[in-house]
Amino acid sequence: MNKLFRKCLAVSLLLSLVLSGCGNAGQSTDSAAGGDSGNSSSGSEQIVIGFLGPMTGNNATDGKDMLNAVEMAVRKVNEAGGVNGKQIKVEVADDGCDPQMATSAANKLVSLNVVAVVGGYCSGSTLPASGVFENAGIPLVVTAANSSKLPEQGYQTLFLINGLVPDQAKTAMEYAMKKNAKNIALIHDNSAYAKDLADSAKAVVEQAGGKVIAYEAINPEEKDFSALVTKLKSLAPDAVYFTGYYAAGGLLVKQFRQKEVPGMFIVGDGSFSEDLIEIAGPENAEGVLISATPTAEFIEGAEAFVDEYKKTYGIAPGPFSALTYNGVNLLVDALKRAGAAEKEAVRVALKETKDFQALGQTITFNEQNTMDTSNFAVLQVELGTFKLAE
Amino acid sequence: MEIILQTLVDGLVVGAFYSLIALGYTMVYGIIKLLNFAHGDLYMLGAFIGFSLLSWLTGDGASAAGLLGIGVVFLLSMLLVGLVGMGVERLAYRPLLTAPRLSILITAIGVSLFLEYGTMIIWSPNVFVYPVQLPQTGWQVMGATITYTQVGLIAVSCLLMYALNLFIHRTIYGKAMRAIALDQTACQLMGIDVHRVIALTFFIGGSLAAGAGVMAGAYYGTINFLMGFIIGLKAFTAAVLGGIGSIPGAMLGGFVLGMFETVGTFWIGGSWKDVVAFSLLILILVLKPTGIMGEKVTERM
Repeated sequence: MNKLFRKCLAVSLLLSLVLSGCGNAGQSTDSAAGGDSGNSSSGSEQIVIGFLGPMTGNNATDGKDMLNAVEMAVRKVNEAGGVNGKQIKVEVADDGCDPQMATSAANKLVSLNVVAVVGGYCSGSTLPASGVFENAGIPLVVTAANSSKLPEQGYQTLFLINGLVPDQAKTAMEYAMKKNAKNIALIHDNSAYAKDLADSAKAVVEQAGGKVIAYEAINPEEKDFSALVTKLKSLAPDAVYFTGYYAAGGLLVKQFRQKEVPGMFIVGDGSFSEDLIEIAGPENAEGVLISATPTAEFIEGAEAFVDEYKKTYGIAPGPFSALTYNGVNLLVDALKRAGAAEKEAVRVALKETKDFQALGQTITFNEQNTMDTSNFAVLQVELGTFKLAE
Repeated sequence: MEIILQTLVDGLVVGAFYSLIALGYTMVYGIIKLLNFAHGDLYMLGAFIGFSLLSWLTGDGASAAGLLGIGVVFLLSMLLVGLVGMGVERLAYRPLLTAPRLSILITAIGVSLFLEYGTMIIWSPNVFVYPVQLPQTGWQVMGATITYTQVGLIAVSCLLMYALNLFIHRTIYGKAMRAIALDQTACQLMGIDVHRVIALTFFIGGSLAAGAGVMAGAYYGTINFLMGFIIGLKAFTAAVLGGIGSIPGAMLGGFVLGMFETVGTFWIGGSWKDVVAFSLLILILVLKPTGIMGEKVTERM
């Protein structure tokens, strides 16, 4: 019997490993949230573009916001007669913010012959997906992911319209140090983007003469961060910068407040979500700072977009909806200029973009296909909503 | 000093959750030699059912349900998930009771995935915030913060475990359970309704896990459909640590694991939490394969 038990144990441990590896892969099917129903009979009359983003998993809320923005932009274009007389159809691929799922989602879009792709929320999953698109020569307009590792790959097909991680780290840390924070604790969640942001922040702090008193990682699947909270409390930081996503961010804020850890609490743009306030509880979230690309509400000239978004979906636009909306419009503009729905022509047209006027930004790509000026700002939670800080 | 005390209390809370779930693992293993990998998902299901009941009771969190409300929801969730546990046993495990152990183990993993993604379809994959959250005020003891909720959680867990212990040792069903663990065929020959007792075991295990789920939801504040997976593995570790098949072992194992994890994370760092837990599992398997309180198992073999 003892032997049997050990065998069982060995098998079960193995299986559990396999399971933990593929737990997410099982859901890589097409999401029900798919775009236009479209009329597939007239395939030649349509231009098919792809959307890549998390439809399931921890970051599904933000993914859904982005998809809403894509659908809104596409609906407008189609109602105005489409691009060069053709209607646009959106194919949705769910990356679940998981590198494995993202690769199969990207392959799915390639096999559907999309002419270009908009999206990319988690940098960790956008990185492998961008490689798939590069191999297939399909342009990818990244509207949320912003790890500096993305442009470092040197892909010709990759375009980023969001500010990059080092810019964000600089914005956040300079704000903190201006407020007399000298001893700063950094926490990331081991995802590509969060680690990148924490590393950049470390560099900024050390360069400016501050001190990083703790550099910690958490497991985003955990719910109990009490050991970390106790440790940081004993170190008494002037500021804590958490660079991961809102599900863990909200819990961290809550547990930090419960144990009364001193100092400012700053989170990165992965935690820029109403859900952060809800998870932490409004009274705990009060005063939390966020380094982020401002949402549509903070963008001058985006009032019409915000109104229409609220009217259509009954909720406020999320953190990346305006950027994603811009991404689709940029792509439509490039499609028009390219003249043909052909991926290389679209890529060249995207590259040649000059002073494209979008909500809150003017898009011109530099050598690395990124923006020269960052649009990051520091926001603050006030009475349960986000306000621009200072 | 305050740090040591704080870490101890935090570890106890985590350990209480592990213990409650580990009990289900250990009871099911003790009685039908099955490692029920769907058990962590019963914890998750408990959290979700508690969430829905509380949302319904409080009308979308507009009015607080109070402690009484939480108590009622707590018991109702335990009852419902206990029934689900029985249903799982009836549909997925009973037909395979005489099949090789591996078939039933694989079925358990299937059931686990079924529960996870079934929950995802019903409730959506989003992270949910519990409508009622337990108060966070408490005592300051030598600089450490100990909340009423933490003390309450540990007390409720201990109470449940004590009740279970009484049940196992003082009732006729408890006696039947212990007998079946020793020899199932002989029990059948003696006229014990074996299937009924096994179903009861699943009921108890499931409801304990659900109780832990509701408490975790109200304590930490958020739930999502994959929350049962990791904690299921941890509870399994706790069960093995204490000596799988042994009920006091599961309780002790849970607390030891929770404590080790919290202390380990404090010393080494947050991302090492799981490494600490599973290193402990490997260590115990190498040094004392029967677990801390595993004598009973060898006796039974």
